[in-house]
Amino acid sequence: MNIQTRLVALLMLVIPAIASAHHGSGISYDVAHLWTTWATITQFNYKNPHPTMTVDRTLKDGQVEHWTTELLTSPAQLSRAGWTKVRSEDALKTGTRLKLWIGTARVGGTSGIVMHLENAMGNEVLQSIGGPSAAPKAVEMDGVPMGLQPTGADKLVPGSAGQADQ
Amino acid sequence: MADGKTRSPFILRAVPVVVLAVTVVTFTQTPAAQGRRGGGPAPTGPSDTDQRPYDKHDLNGYWSRGPATYKVGDCPECRDTLPIPVPGYGYFGDVPPRTPEGEKRLQATKHARGYEPNSEAAKRYPTLDPAYKRAGLPAFSSDPEQRCEPIGLARSLTMTRGGPGVFEMVQSSDRIIQMFEWGWDFRSIWMDGRTLDKVADLTPRFNGYSVAKWEGDTLVVTSTGFDDRQWVDMFGFPISEKAILVERWERPSPNRLRMQMTLTDPENYTRPWPSSVKTWALIPRQRMALDGAANGWADLLEDRCVPSDEALFNTFRDHAAGKK
Repeated sequence: MNIQTRLVALLMLVIPAIASAHHGSGISYDVAHLWTTWATITQFNYKNPHPTMTVDRTLKDGQVEHWTTELLTSPAQLSRAGWTKVRSEDALKTGTRLKLWIGTARVGGTSGIVMHLENAMGNEVLQSIGGPSAAPKAVEMDGVPMGLQPTGADKLVPGSAGQADQ
Repeated sequence: MADGKTRSPFILRAVPVVVLAVTVVTFTQTPAAQGRRGGGPAPTGPSDTDQRPYDKHDLNGYWSRGPATYKVGDCPECRDTLPIPVPGYGYFGDVPPRTPEGEKRLQATKHARGYEPNSEAAKRYPTLDPAYKRAGLPAFSSDPEQRCEPIGLARSLTMTRGGPGVFEMVQSSDRIIQMFEWGWDFRSIWMDGRTLDKVADLTPRFNGYSVAKWEGDTLVVTSTGFDDRQWVDMFGFPISEKAILVERWERPSPNRLRMQMTLTDPENYTRPWPSSVKTWALIPRQRMALDGAANGWADLLEDRCVPSDEALFNTFRDHAAGKK
């Protein structure tokens, strides 16, 4: 399978989900270049329009990096899949260590969208519909400062209207 | 662009390829095709567990354009099929030219869906209405939904996949109550003989005022008196208080509800605007469990847009945009 085929396969996984993100979140993030990291939950908000959370990453030199993230799914989708507020908050309690599949904000920095989550046992948490899904292809960046940052055409100027080609 | 090139992100450059691929996948995921090959999950059941006799004039029930959410058989025709693919979901159809005032109102809006202006994807479709080529980051959008303002009737009807988009029809002899899950909103479609003659004197509503009558097996719903702060759909199209929306609803099979609507709004558009055809799948009540359980509490979710929740979310959204 060549790289183009792999990327198309990845997009087939994420685009239906992005289409369901009715607040247009997908355009804010570089979801074509996902990366993974372990992180510790510092706050989780099971709220509309999309759940959000803050996490801490411990870098290879021991320093801690703070990230703000949103999830692609919604409380409605999670509820219908059995991930009620009580169950979700229990799975993402403050202090819980999870592996995150992240697409960094297109303006760069320490903000991203979480496309997939697994707990310490390797089980997916907060899957929306259809039961457990395969982890999307991503670059391992655990402990690497700033994770994977967008480059070239996928990068936007912070504070710009976000219309990449104007 | 930081590198001065006129390139769009890969996700948009790859859209045509992906749409084709998704289409192929879609049409190979009918209940019959799902089967048990590959040891995947059991095929979801069709929505024909409803035991009521099939009556084309009975629109009662839960209806969704994303039946997979409820583990109900796939519905390829529930997706918008467009001659040119557009990211997002909307009214679509044969988009009319705007009047000068309508164009001015459209350009005053900013949204986060469709194609980014001047992107390769946008250039690939030169005949696509420019209204679909104005996408920017949500943090800079003027979308009333991002302030939790009511989204209005036409936009509620264009909601599609996933959680938002399901509605319930409750039908009595003189009216149908249509309850939308997203926004926890509703409207009454009156069938008691009243007319819309005096609606212009009434206070505009986001969902307007609706009356209906049967023409054969088609329920024709006519609405007017819209609050003009709403958008027709997520792409920022304006609508005036005097606009008239005519919906034609049919139940072509026990498990499908189909609707096509036409918006007549001379203040904003140079001719009537027929939408694309929208199709919903019947969701059996037991599949509407609020916790996904087999015999859970089945109902619509109270899926409100709560301003304080939205404000919290927007802090994350703004951070993602580098907005000061």
